[in-house]
Amino acid sequence: MQRVIERILNLLAFLLTVDRPVTASEIRNTVAGYDRDSDTAFHRTFERDKALLRDLGIPIEREATDAFEVEFGYAVDGERYSLADPGLSDDERVALSLAVQAVGFGGRTLGEEALMKLGGVAAGSSGTQLGADLGEQADAVAAAFEAISERRFFEFEYRGTRRRVRPYGLVHRRGRWYLVASEANGEIIKVFRLDRASDIRQVPGDDAFTRPEGFNPAEWVIREPWEAGDEWMVATVVFDPDVAWIARRELGPRANIADHPDGTIRAEIEVASADAFIGWLIGFEDRAEIIAPDRLRSRLIELVRNA
Amino acid sequence: MTNSPRTAGRINRLLAMLPWVIANPGAHVDEVCTRFGYTRSELAKDLNTVFVCGLPGYGPGDLMDATIDDDEVTVEMADYFSRPLRLTAAETFGLLASAKAVQSAGLGGVSLDRAVRKLEETLVPGGGDSVVVDMPEPPMADLLRTAAVDGTVVRIDHTSIASGRQTVRDIEPWSVFTTLGNWYVSGYCRRVGAERVFRIDRIRTATPTDERFTPAGAARTATLHYMPGDDDVHATIRLGAASRWVAEYYPVEIVSRRSEELTIRMAASDPLVIARLLARLGSDATLIEGESVASALEDLRSRILSRYAADA
Repeated sequence: MQRVIERILNLLAFLLTVDRPVTASEIRNTVAGYDRDSDTAFHRTFERDKALLRDLGIPIEREATDAFEVEFGYAVDGERYSLADPGLSDDERVALSLAVQAVGFGGRTLGEEALMKLGGVAAGSSGTQLGADLGEQADAVAAAFEAISERRFFEFEYRGTRRRVRPYGLVHRRGRWYLVASEANGEIIKVFRLDRASDIRQVPGDDAFTRPEGFNPAEWVIREPWEAGDEWMVATVVFDPDVAWIARRELGPRANIADHPDGTIRAEIEVASADAFIGWLIGFEDRAEIIAPDRLRSRLIELVRNA
Repeated sequence: MTNSPRTAGRINRLLAMLPWVIANPGAHVDEVCTRFGYTRSELAKDLNTVFVCGLPGYGPGDLMDATIDDDEVTVEMADYFSRPLRLTAAETFGLLASAKAVQSAGLGGVSLDRAVRKLEETLVPGGGDSVVVDMPEPPMADLLRTAAVDGTVVRIDHTSIASGRQTVRDIEPWSVFTTLGNWYVSGYCRRVGAERVFRIDRIRTATPTDERFTPAGAARTATLHYMPGDDDVHATIRLGAASRWVAEYYPVEIVSRRSEELTIRMAASDPLVIARLLARLGSDATLIEGESVASALEDLRSRILSRYAADA
């Protein structure tokens, strides 16, 4: 490992100072640590080193060495190599470090390397009291984020169909990651669950689109399952005293709730999907009753009777 | 063969440490170690590596100079490594999403708010709020977390999701956490004499008692997986086209597939869990096998229909 690290540091030092594309053979003959005897061994090692540096975020580009494009070499773009320094203070870095320790992605934390690049955290920090997990799709979500940041088209397999979209934003809600995007050849905004996307790919080409001004991805992702649909109605439901507290918590501030002296509550709530709402309501068994509208009430009776 | 992740990790740390040391010549060795997570000997080893690397020629004037002298760290002749390396998209994402999760839970502060604003302005140009994390913390979490730190036994009034059974228990809370969209408290339940995990939204009231316990040093982590148990009930169900989502939503075993129809087998800790699912699916799902579920469904159906004063 020691020799590998020395060779890679030498390679990077050379590429950062040479200021022109250099061919693989020049690298082989100039940079200390490469095998000069066997072609195969050299190429294998060189490919590996390039891949490692690229994984670390180092922009190694392949470019023509002259105007005739006969020969190609490698160069590191100094501008793209460097961090645009956000100028964090020590207390801001400590706050970020606590956040990184508190939040997992399928059990692992993300962000320690980023913090080191930003200058590391000076004070030992611990004692975070939050334990949160943002799920196991970190790789897919990070790939979507890269496409969003670079404004690249994003492709994936979704429920049996290949999609190509303009990715606009990511929302974590109800324990899932959603991608808010418009289709590549249209303006209609769609929301995709990233845990159902597979075979994802970023389509090369930065700045392929612009995001609509003032776009807020959070507005596009539903908060409750019964908000997905187009059969809008206002449902009136009565909940018994012993479950009223659960209903009140789960309905949240969007419901219009009236308290009855006996502890019963009467809630009015906007519903877009009858079946999704009934699915939730059946959790209350016989301790809740739909009062209106009639069609929602009959739908529940029909479902239960035929179950 | 590829270069190992450990090699990548070491180079990443080196490329983070070098710009900082170059910008802060003579920094104390302890500070460098803290910032970049080094032990003293690891740092010495990395600096020795730097010392033998540099530019072609590789003579005394071409190699970098790296020393620890009187506990002061200095790196010279390495201007090309003076600029910090940009973050990868995955690194920026991890940092931003973690920070926004803490903000959303209401546990951030002004420093975190400022940090997030700076990161978004410099690292996600034009991206605005491209990452939103929505996981507000329930009001009771604070009380439970404080009790976990102080070692206060808390009396909770809890209603089980599965059975609907309401119980009052004294618990020694260990940690408050959120995953898959719900908030939980884990701890030692004195009523059953074992570790238990409770969904916070199903705790009606939580009251600190005068009883104390000795909190574990670090918050004990609880794992949350559906654990098949000996007392589980099983059912085989045939799903119609409109009910196929069940197979995606719940952990089920697919028994057979025939054009529009899907037959699944599922388990639950209480027959009512499956009965409620069947009730909402109506005629689109059929219970093929599962005696206790059948009687739970029968009972549930008659209770709901009598509430609605409807005939079975």
